[in-house]
Amino acid sequence: MSLEYQVFPVSTPAEGAGGKTGNWRTVRPVVTDRCIGCNACFLWCPEGTIGVVGRKAKVYYEYCKGCGVCANVCPVKAIEMVMEQ
Amino acid sequence: MKVMSGNEAVALAVKLARVGVVGIYPITPQTTIIEELAEMRARGELSADIVRVESEHSAMAVTLGAAVSGVRSFTATSSQGLLYMHEMVWWTSGSRAPLVMVVATRAVGAPWNIWNENTDFMSERDSGWIMAFASTPQEALDLTLQAFRISEDPRVFLPVMVGMDGFILSHTKTNVFIPSQEDVDNFIPPRRQPYVIDPETKESMGNIFPPIYYMKFRQSIHEAITNSEEVIKEVGREYNKISPLGDYGTLNVSYKLDDADYAVVTMGAWSLDAMEAVDKLRENGLNVGLYRVRYIRPWSEKEIRENLGDKRAILVVDRATSLGRGGPLYLELKSTLNIPIKGVVTGLGGVSVGKRDFYSLISRFVEEARYSEVGGVEWYYPGEVKEVELGTPRTAH
Repeated sequence: MSLEYQVFPVSTPAEGAGGKTGNWRTVRPVVTDRCIGCNACFLWCPEGTIGVVGRKAKVYYEYCKGCGVCANVCPVKAIEMVMEQ
Repeated sequence: MKVMSGNEAVALAVKLARVGVVGIYPITPQTTIIEELAEMRARGELSADIVRVESEHSAMAVTLGAAVSGVRSFTATSSQGLLYMHEMVWWTSGSRAPLVMVVATRAVGAPWNIWNENTDFMSERDSGWIMAFASTPQEALDLTLQAFRISEDPRVFLPVMVGMDGFILSHTKTNVFIPSQEDVDNFIPPRRQPYVIDPETKESMGNIFPPIYYMKFRQSIHEAITNSEEVIKEVGREYNKISPLGDYGTLNVSYKLDDADYAVVTMGAWSLDAMEAVDKLRENGLNVGLYRVRYIRPWSEKEIRENLGDKRAILVVDRATSLGRGGPLYLELKSTLNIPIKGVVTGLGGVSVGKRDFYSLISRFVEEARYSEVGGVEWYYPGEVKEVELGTPRTAH
């Protein structure tokens, strides 16, 4: 039996119908040196636009909408929300 | 062999399937399943994480979360709990997450009622799950074990719901054959699933699908359900090898149908009462047989046409109802077969229906069908409650 009919609803950040959603942002998360690389921000981010690269969290600014969930859940308050210029 | 209730049999099946996470929230009549699992855990016989949550909605969320993170997971519920879980039931099939849930059926309020009725289970039939329904504690154990393998088959990759009649199966003890752990380990291969959500990868779920992709995606679930028919038969044949009582090579079950002119269609525990009624009716010269629906999703049009297509008329007895229309089984059969079909709705809210009632229902039906075109839906009240007047329990007495 061919399995061609099987499709699964997972994705990685990519340009969708709404374009790059980073320009929706009014505040941006900035990861500071306090980051301990615990992945809490990755687990909570509703958009999959933050994750630990190496030992520190990195934000994918092209798609991050600036909701601030990562800053709220960070256990060491390593993420600051900074007003976009 | 061991004497056990349906709920104990299900808990044992979950243990034998080496489940890793169980999301639990109590509701009658399902509660003793999760109590038994928690006790197994306390005794050190079960290594699964038992996660206590604050609602059925969260019970399914936990079970789904565990499943997509790569763990074999299980939960159970009933009635109001299943309705409260409804949103997550759809998220689970939409996420294509293999997992298993058992529903010990119970009437839905209002008014408050804790007794058996299948409407809660049947109301999930559009949700994209594979749905099986047991008729004995033995079958509850067997179908639960098979459910894990069906769910995790790459041709399916969908959650499976196993129903059983509340109290009548969940709390009634009979002899149950238990396959060995070794046989079950060989029967259920290591977990397979379509994707794993893991902090190491950047994949995420719960994304928005624009219209055309959404529709194509829903069609892929539809195709997975229709294709699961072959998988279920294949898994059933494999299961027959480890259980001497097995008869799982078909989705549904025929009883004395080959030479029957008329047939009665049922689902669940009371099918065994109906079988006794069929025996008695045959002794008295009525040429009747029984067809027991075990899987409502997938709905095997092929099997049903082969087994019932040549009957003069059939009687469908539902312990559930789509208010204003009729029993769900009746409606499904009407859309499958082109022969006279009569529906009966009975047994709601725990109304006791036994073999004498089936005897009288079937013999009356055959009389009607011989001399007229049968059809429509009858609300049947068994002998001793026929005279109860409409009203609340207070005003009626």
